[in-house]
Amino acid sequence: MSDPMAEIKASFFIECDELLESLQDGLQLMDEGEADSETVNVVFRAVHSIKGGAGAFGLDDLVKFAHRFETAMDDVRSDKLEATHDVLKLFFQCGDILADLVREARENEPHDPSRTAQVLTEIDSLLGSSAEDEDEEEVEFQPMTLSLDLPGIDADPIPASEPSYTIVFEPENELYSLGNEPLFLLRALRELGDMHVTCETKSLPDLDQLSAEIGTMIWTIQLTTSEGEAAIKEVFDFVDGICRLEITENSPAMASLLPDLDLAPDLAPELPPLPMPAAAENPSVETPFVAPEKSSPPSPPATDAKPAQATPSQDTKPAPKASGAATAPRATVRVDLHRIDRLVNLVGEIVINQAMLTQSVEEAGLPPNSTVRTGLEEFLQLTRDIQESVMMIRAQPVKSLFQRMGRIVRESSADIGKDVRLKTEGENTEVDKTVIERLADPLTHMIRNAVDHGLESNAEREASGKSAAGNVHLTAMHRSGRVVIEVSDDGAGINREKVHQIAVEKGLVPPELQLTDTEIDNLLFLPGFSTAKEVSNLSGRGVGMDVVRSAIQALGGRISITSERGKGTTFSISLPLTLAVLDGMIISVAKETLVVPLNSILETLTLTPSDLLEFGPETHVVNIRNTFVPLLDLGAELGYREPLSDYSGTVVLLIMQEDGSRAAVVVDAIEDQRQVVIKGLQDSYGRVPGIAAATILGDGKIALILDPVDLITQSSGRTRPMSNLEKIAG
Amino acid sequence: MALRDQLRTIVVDDMSTSRGLITQALEGFGLQQIETAVDGQSALQKIATWPVHLVISDMNMPGMNGLQLLHSLRTTPQTKGVGFLLITGKADREIIEYGKKLGMNNFVKKPFQPDQLRVAIEAIVGRL
Repeated sequence: MSDPMAEIKASFFIECDELLESLQDGLQLMDEGEADSETVNVVFRAVHSIKGGAGAFGLDDLVKFAHRFETAMDDVRSDKLEATHDVLKLFFQCGDILADLVREARENEPHDPSRTAQVLTEIDSLLGSSAEDEDEEEVEFQPMTLSLDLPGIDADPIPASEPSYTIVFEPENELYSLGNEPLFLLRALRELGDMHVTCETKSLPDLDQLSAEIGTMIWTIQLTTSEGEAAIKEVFDFVDGICRLEITENSPAMASLLPDLDLAPDLAPELPPLPMPAAAENPSVETPFVAPEKSSPPSPPATDAKPAQATPSQDTKPAPKASGAATAPRATVRVDLHRIDRLVNLVGEIVINQAMLTQSVEEAGLPPNSTVRTGLEEFLQLTRDIQESVMMIRAQPVKSLFQRMGRIVRESSADIGKDVRLKTEGENTEVDKTVIERLADPLTHMIRNAVDHGLESNAEREASGKSAAGNVHLTAMHRSGRVVIEVSDDGAGINREKVHQIAVEKGLVPPELQLTDTEIDNLLFLPGFSTAKEVSNLSGRGVGMDVVRSAIQALGGRISITSERGKGTTFSISLPLTLAVLDGMIISVAKETLVVPLNSILETLTLTPSDLLEFGPETHVVNIRNTFVPLLDLGAELGYREPLSDYSGTVVLLIMQEDGSRAAVVVDAIEDQRQVVIKGLQDSYGRVPGIAAATILGDGKIALILDPVDLITQSSGRTRPMSNLEKIAG
Repeated sequence: MALRDQLRTIVVDDMSTSRGLITQALEGFGLQQIETAVDGQSALQKIATWPVHLVISDMNMPGMNGLQLLHSLRTTPQTKGVGFLLITGKADREIIEYGKKLGMNNFVKKPFQPDQLRVAIEAIVGRL
């Protein structure tokens, strides 16, 4: 994007997303009756800013609609219009349309005016006027020419304004003992501007009494900088409290002559009331603004103020041009996603590289306290830190996703005439960006299902003593190294008899098969299952829960159902925090090396003969502290070998499943525990049951990463050799 | 040295899109010394360390609005003489009359073309 206009336009759309988000937040607060006048202002400003930007790019449809919405919001702001529930319902619709218009403008899609027209008519009737009635009067204004006090533009330069400071820096002993280096601080200071340093060495002891941890030197620094005192202080942030620091401003910079800036809001009451009620209220209370330190008394205009010309930097380069972010109170940088992805890939390479290096060092047989080994230890720690930091860059709160679901609930409940309230929780839970993007479709489907199938009609609800309006809860939380997202409704719960009957009718299960409640619930995930008698507007679009499940599985996630008749149903999605790296246990089975995600392992143990019990003709169970857990032979399950004849003395991993049940998985040996880079297999092999992905080990070999829970679900449970049994594909 | 080399301008707007657009237009006019601020408060702070000749400010901002910023500038001895150009989406009588009272030098109504901005600036400081 070399065209600067295109660049600004692109950033406009990003800004629009942020504004739309705060718009939704504001409307939500207003709807909950928790809005103050600032909330109303935020909503107004969001619409206003979108309109302003859209105007600059000639996005007429967007401008026109935003303008009407803005007018309505303005009326709310000036108390001409009360924000009742119905009004807010309309505003939510307006917000949705505004989001559509922004999207259409971004994607250059044509705009369908019919939907907007209907909402515009509603706004008109709300305001008792239409867009045509609005006529801005021309106001007479005579520009005031400024006699610029640029003393002889062509001759005299503008007087220099860069203040200079005297900084006295005296480290205390602790500064040295904690490993700080004054030289680095001075270097950092030099970054701020022109600097002259003198060192006070009078109290320096003789050479034989010199100690590295006893401070005897005092530095006096003359620094000319426009960065301000705060920037100077920042340099000394790390040694705060373990040194004596005096910062005095020398020059008569305007800063010292101005009255305290934080007094400015106090001037506001002197203002005659402004037409905008919004503006007059305590401006800037929420602005994270740090008033300049008042350490320097206003000094008389000094004669030694350097002319600007004398500062070479000012002559050669233009004044600092802020790119926006630099001046923002929240210091944020917008980075192209490709760059981050590249970084993530590189970190993956480092992890592999580090594993190989570790292996080589291992093979070299160096002593444990060798510098190479300790260096490697540190490298390991740093790699982990880098990896976590990079993942944090990719992490985003699920809030944007949840807001989209708010719209789905509004639209789908309106379509079928049910009153539905959506309550969200844990919106700030952070998940990898890709996960958020790829979760949108499955979640949309689940929400629609909850509204359509999960909840009863208003009348039915009232008849069963529930509130007429149904509730859908959307929750996100972190649980043992994974992210769990739950969609729950307080509807009728799953009608298991009906589900079973349908599954039998469709030939999905043999009629004579007895199924547990959980098994019946899981029938919903079978391809080709749909309970809707008539294909309603919402569900039955050819996308079933099976598609939802495979979408979740593609993300390395799992989905489960719990349901109670008359109380409601909860769908729970559990996802890995990152799609790039995981902590794994390296195990071997029948000479194959495999990786088991560490967070799925509860504990590891070695079986004793008394732990083992035969259970039926083919299977064993393990007695673990008086609870019985099914035994699973990994080698046999994966088809690497036949089940063993004796399991005593073998190593087992105790794996926890989603529903809380456990299984003991037999492996031959535990080799190592380390971070591994996830390399997806989906593109080449599709989904392989029980296998999550692959990775490259330190010796360059490829190992499969298991999905133990999936493996257990799919397992035969056969732990006793029976030759006539069909072999599991290997 | 021409005026455009020396004129120090600060662009105040909470929306980065607007800051970008205005800054780009100013650079197009050949202005060499441009700063930006995201709100009135940080503009005042910047102007304190980097005095300016001209403030170009949006009207509708969180915290202090454009006219409140103007008021702050006019009631501070060191900044009372700076030029002030208001960018406003709504140019109704109240805003303009009130701006006049506070000593607003000129205003531009949104949306505007770079040329309109140039004309409005030149009406304050003379030919760039």
